[in-house]
Amino acid sequence: MGYLNTILVLGGIQVIAALGLAILTGYTGLFSMGHSVYMALGGYAAAVLYMELGVPFILALILGALFAGLCSMIIGYPTFRSQLRGDYFAIATLGFAEAVRLVLNNTYKIINGAIGYLGIPKLTSPWLVLIAMLLAFVLAHSFTKSQWGRNCLAVKQDATAAQMMGVNVLKTQMTALFVSAVYCGLAGGLLAFYMAYLTPAMFTVTKSSDLLAAVVFGGMQSLVGPAIAGFVLIALPEILRPLESWRLIMYGSLFVIIMVFRPQGLLGYYELELGRYLAPIRAAYARLGIRRKAKVDAA
Amino acid sequence: MSDHILDLQNVTVQFGGLRAVNDVSIYIDPGEFVGIIGPNGAGKTTIFNLITGSIPPTEGKILFKGQSIAGKRSDQLCHLGISRTFQNIRLFPEMTAYENVALGLHARPQYSLIEAFVRTPAAVRTEEQSSIAVYELLDMVGLKSLALERANSLPYGLQRRLELARAMATSPELLLLDEPAAGMNEDECDDLIRTIRNIHTEMGYAIMLIEHHMNVVMELCEGSRLYVLNLGQILTAGTPQEVQGNPHVIKAYLGEKDESYV
Repeated sequence: MGYLNTILVLGGIQVIAALGLAILTGYTGLFSMGHSVYMALGGYAAAVLYMELGVPFILALILGALFAGLCSMIIGYPTFRSQLRGDYFAIATLGFAEAVRLVLNNTYKIINGAIGYLGIPKLTSPWLVLIAMLLAFVLAHSFTKSQWGRNCLAVKQDATAAQMMGVNVLKTQMTALFVSAVYCGLAGGLLAFYMAYLTPAMFTVTKSSDLLAAVVFGGMQSLVGPAIAGFVLIALPEILRPLESWRLIMYGSLFVIIMVFRPQGLLGYYELELGRYLAPIRAAYARLGIRRKAKVDAA
Repeated sequence: MSDHILDLQNVTVQFGGLRAVNDVSIYIDPGEFVGIIGPNGAGKTTIFNLITGSIPPTEGKILFKGQSIAGKRSDQLCHLGISRTFQNIRLFPEMTAYENVALGLHARPQYSLIEAFVRTPAAVRTEEQSSIAVYELLDMVGLKSLALERANSLPYGLQRRLELARAMATSPELLLLDEPAAGMNEDECDDLIRTIRNIHTEMGYAIMLIEHHMNVVMELCEGSRLYVLNLGQILTAGTPQEVQGNPHVIKAYLGEKDESYV
C-alpha cells in the first residue's frame, strides 16, 4: 500500500508541474527545458520558510510557489525583452536551470548543498496532493478559457499579428511563465514535504525533460493530455522497473514516433469540455422553463 | 497644426542599400477613404508597416492624431486607434472565428489574472457581455453563422472577411486594408466592395486601402483621393479620374511604348 501510495503521490505532484508547463509550452508556444528549477526553488523556499522561519505548512507552500514565480521573472524579462523564441528561449531556460542548481549544490549554509536538506517533516498527505491537483486543474482550465488564456494562444499562433491586434506580447509571455513557475513551485513544495529531504540532484535536466515529455506526449493545446501523460510517465517506469535502462530507449523512440505521426500530441487540441456533456441537460432545463412560462402566460 | 488623423512627413526607409520608401508624404483626414496603388515592390506594404510601428522610419516623422508615433509598439498604436489587415492573411488559424474577433475586442484583458483563474461571476458576466459585440461584428461581415468554425477551416474569401471583422474589433479610428481583394474573383470583389463601403459609412473610420484590383480601388475611392507609388516614391496623387489619365502612371504600370519596334 505504501509503495502504491508513493507512486500516486509522486504522479499527482508531477501532474501539477505538467499542468504548469502546459500553460507555457502548450498554450503560449514557449519551450522550456529547465522547468525543474522552479520545482527546486519552490521546494527549497517552502522548506526553509517552514523549518527556519516557522511559517505554517500551507502558507509556506503558497509562498514557496510564489517565490518560484518571481524567480522566473529573472530569466523571463531579459529573454522576452530581446524576443528570444523557440530554441533560443529553450537554451536560455536550460542555462538558468543549471546555474541555479549549481548554486544550490554549493550553498552549504542552511540547505547543506549537495548533501541535501534533511529533516523536513513529512506533511504532504495523498489527500492534500489530490485536492491540490484537482484545484490546479480547475484553475488552469478557467485560465485557458479566459481572455488571458486567449492572448496566450494568439501569441503562440502569430505573435506579430497578435501584437498588431493590441496584445502586449511581452506581458502575455511573462504571465504564462510566471503561472507555470508557480505551478511547478507548488509541485516542488509538495515534493519536499513528501520526500522529507531535498537535494539539488532531484531537479536535474532529466526532471525537466520529463515535464516537457508530458506536454509533448499529452497534447500541445490540452490540459487533460499533459496531466494524464505526466502521471503515466511517473507510473510507467515503476511498472516497467524490471526493464530498467531499456525504458530510456523506449522514451526516446516514443518521442520520435509521436513527433513524426502525431506532432500535436496524443490528445492534441482535445480538451475535456464539461459544457458539452452538460449541454443536453441545460437544453432540457431551458425547455422546461419555456413550458412553465407558457403556462403562466396562458393563465 | 493639421487636423489630419495621420500625417507622414517626408518619410524615408532604408533597408541596407535599398530605399524602400523615399521621401514620402501622405496624409489622411478623419473618416476619409484613401487608396494607395502602385506596382509590386513600390513600398506600399512598407508604408503600412511604418504606420503600425513594426519598422521605424530612417528619416521623417509620422503623426497620428497630432502625436508622433516614434518609439511606440504595435500594440500601443493599436490601442491608440490604428488597426490593419494583412496582405497574406494572418488570422489565428487554430482559434474559432469567434475567438479571433474576441481577441481583437479585448486584447487587454478586462479583468485581473486572479479573476481569470477563479472565474469570478463578474468575469463571466464581462465575457457574456462582450459576446454580444463579437456577434455584431461577425454579423457585419456575414460570418455570424460560422462563429464557432476554426479560422483555418474557413474558405479563403471568408478568412479575408474574418480578418476585417477582427481589425474592426479593436475599434480603430484608422483602418489599413492591405490588398483585401487579393485572389478574389469578380463576384467576390463586388461583394467585398459593398462590405467595405458599408463599414466605411457605418463606422466612420478613416480607411487606407492598398489594392491591385483597379476596379475595386477606383470604385471605392470614387470622390476621394488616391496615391500612386512607384519605386518607393509618390508618383502622383489625385482623384481616380486624374490618376487614370496621368501618363506617368500608365508608364509605371504598362511601360513605355518603344518606337523602335514600330
